[in-house]
Amino acid sequence: MTEPAAVRRQAPAEPVRAKAAAAREPYEFRLAHLPAYLALVVGAVVSMSPFLYMVSTSLMTLGETINRRLLPATPQWVNYRTAWSEADFALYFRNSVIITALVIVGVLVTCTLAGYAFARIRFPGRETIFLVLLATLMIPGTVTFLPNFLMVRGEVIPWGSWLNTLPALTVPFMSTAFVIFLFRQFFLGIPHELYDAARIDGAGHLRFLTAVVVPMSKPVIMTATLLTFVSSWNEFLWPLLVTTTPKWRPLGVGLYTFISEAGPQTHLLMAGAVITVLPVLLVYFLTQKQFTEGIATSGLKG
Amino acid sequence: MPATTPAIRRPRVSASARREWLTGYLFVLPAALIIAVFGIFPIGYAIYMSLHRWRIRKGAFVGLDNYLSVVGDWWGALAFFGGLLLIIAAHWLWVDAFRRDDGTVALAGRLLGALVLLGSGVAVSLGWRLMTAEGDRRFLQGLTRTVYYGFGSVPVQIVLALVIATLLFQKLRGQELFRMLYFLPYVTPAVAAAAVFRNIFSPRPERPANTVLEWLGLPTQQWLFETRPMSQVLFGGLLDRLGIELSGFWAGPSLALVTVIVFGVWTYTGYNAVIFLAGLGNIPKQLYEAAAIDGATRVQQFRHITVPLLSPVTFYLTVLGFIGTFQAFTHIYVMRAPNTRDAVDTASIVIFDTFYGRNNFSLAAAQSVILFAIILILTLLQNRLIGRRVFSD
Repeated sequence: MTEPAAVRRQAPAEPVRAKAAAAREPYEFRLAHLPAYLALVVGAVVSMSPFLYMVSTSLMTLGETINRRLLPATPQWVNYRTAWSEADFALYFRNSVIITALVIVGVLVTCTLAGYAFARIRFPGRETIFLVLLATLMIPGTVTFLPNFLMVRGEVIPWGSWLNTLPALTVPFMSTAFVIFLFRQFFLGIPHELYDAARIDGAGHLRFLTAVVVPMSKPVIMTATLLTFVSSWNEFLWPLLVTTTPKWRPLGVGLYTFISEAGPQTHLLMAGAVITVLPVLLVYFLTQKQFTEGIATSGLKG
Repeated sequence: MPATTPAIRRPRVSASARREWLTGYLFVLPAALIIAVFGIFPIGYAIYMSLHRWRIRKGAFVGLDNYLSVVGDWWGALAFFGGLLLIIAAHWLWVDAFRRDDGTVALAGRLLGALVLLGSGVAVSLGWRLMTAEGDRRFLQGLTRTVYYGFGSVPVQIVLALVIATLLFQKLRGQELFRMLYFLPYVTPAVAAAAVFRNIFSPRPERPANTVLEWLGLPTQQWLFETRPMSQVLFGGLLDRLGIELSGFWAGPSLALVTVIVFGVWTYTGYNAVIFLAGLGNIPKQLYEAAAIDGATRVQQFRHITVPLLSPVTFYLTVLGFIGTFQAFTHIYVMRAPNTRDAVDTASIVIFDTFYGRNNFSLAAAQSVILFAIILILTLLQNRLIGRRVFSD
C-alpha cells in the first residue's frame, strides 16, 4: 500500500525550505560583497537593456528614434493608441486571452485527472503509459508540426478543416506530459490515509480528487497555471500556421505581421511589443515568487 | 523514476478491482488521447509522408528517395552517422572495456579506444564531405549552423548562470530582486523580444549596438545582415595578409548567427541561474563547514564540493539546452533579415521553409525525421559522455 521512496523524497521539501528561510541571519553589509554586487548590477543592467530600449523607444517620436536619443523628451503615450488601432491589437489581444484561458482550463482538467490516476489508481499498464507519455517531451516540435497541420486541415482524419478556428489553436495544447508529471509528483506526496478515510465515507476517486486533493494542491496548480499561461501566450509557430485570417490570430502572430506593416516606424513597433509583453510581465511580477520557485523545483525534478 | 509498486498477484480479478482499472483508464484517457493524436501519431505520419512524393497533395510512393535527396550519398550518410556512433564505442573502450585489468591489457584497450576515436573523426568528416557534395545543401548547412548555435550558446549560458547563481547564493541583500530581473527574459514572448533585438542589432549606425561600438571607437557592423563568417569579420585583414583562407565549418559562424546566439544566451542564462540556485540550496551546508575546518579555501570548496554536487543539474541543463537549440524557432524566424535569407537559418528554420515556403511536404518530413534521429543520437551521446561523470548518490 505504500510508495516509500517517492513519498519520502517529496515530503520534506516544504518544511526544510521554510526552516531555511526562517533561520536566515539578519543581513550585514561587508566590503567583500562589493565586487559581487557590482557584477550582479552590471549583469542585470545588460539583461534589462532590451526592455529599457523597448519602453523608451515606444514613447519617442519618429524623429527621436533615428537620432540616438536615450530617452524621449516628452513621452508620446499616443503611440500606444496609434499602434493599438493600426494593427487591430484589440482583436489580437482578445484572441490571446481567450486562447490562453481555454488552454489553461484544458490542461488543468486533463492533467489533474491523469496525474491523479498515475499517482493513486492502480491499473494494468500504468507505468508503461506514463513512460510513453513522458517520452513525448523529447520529441521536437519541428517533427510534429507538419503532420499536425495536415491533421487540422482534415486531411488525415476526415473531420473537416479546423483552420482559423478556436479548436485548432487550443485542443492540441490541452495536455502536456510535463504538467502530468508535475501533478503526479505532487499527488504522490499526499498521505494514503486521507484516501482511505474518504473511502470509508463512501467517496470514490472523483469525489476524493475534487473535494480533498485539489484544494490541497494549490501550489502545484498555481505552477501549472503559470507555466501554461506563459507557453500558451508565447506560442508562435503553430498559430502562425493555422491562422490565415486575423479572426483568431493571437498577439504574437499579430505583432509579427505588424513588423512589416510598421516598417520604419520603430516607435509604433516597440509600442506593439510592449502591448504583447505587458500581460506576461504583469502576471510574472505579481506571482514572481511562486513562479520562479515552481520552475526551480519542477525543473530540478524533471 | 516512477515508484513501481509490486502488484499484488491474485488468481482472478475481482469486480471492484476491475472498476478501479476502468476509473484509471477513464482518468488518463483525455490527456492520453490529446498527446497520442498530436504528439505521438505525427511521428509515424511524418515517416509515412517522407516515403511519398508529397507537394501539398499526396503523390506516389517513392521509398527512400526523399532521404537520399537530403543526405546526397548513402555511403556518406553511413560514414557520418556510423562515425557518431563510433564515438560512443571509443568512449566505451577507453573507460569500460578493460576496467578490471590495470596493466598492459588496459593500456591496449585505451590505445584501441583512441584509435577508434580517430577513426570516427575521419568517418564523420569524410561522410560529411560526401553528403554535402550531393545532398540538400540548405538543410546540411542548417545543421552546421545548429551545431554552431548549440556550442556557442549552451556552454556560455551555463557558465554565466553558474557565476550568477554562486554570487546570489551568498545571502546578499536583494537576492530575490536580482533573481526576478535575471529570470525575466525567459518569460518574455520571443516574438516581442526578437523584434526588439532586430532593432538593437540593426545595421543602421544610429541603433544601440552600433552606437556602443562607435562609442568604444570600433567600426560599426552589419549585425543581423552580416553573412561573412566571424573569422573574416574579426581578423579578415590579418588572415588576408597571412594568406590563410578558412572555409566551410572552420571559418566560423556568421556575425548574424552570433547575434542570434546572443539572443539565446540572453533568454536562457537567467533560467539556468534559477535552476542552479535551487541546486545550490540542496547541497548540505555541513560539507562546506567540514571542508573549512580542514582548511580548504573558497576556491577549493567550489572546485571539490560545489562543482561535483551540481553536476546532475549541469547535465540536465546541458541536455535541455542542446535540445532547445534544435527546437529553436521563433526568435530566429523573427530576426532573420529578408535579404540575407539563410545566414541564420538553422535546421528547424530550413524544415519550416521547405514546407511553408516551398510546399515540399515530403522533403520537409524527411528532413524533420533526420533531425529527430540526430537529436536521439545526441541524447545518447550526452548520456554516455557527460552522464558518466555526473556525480550521483
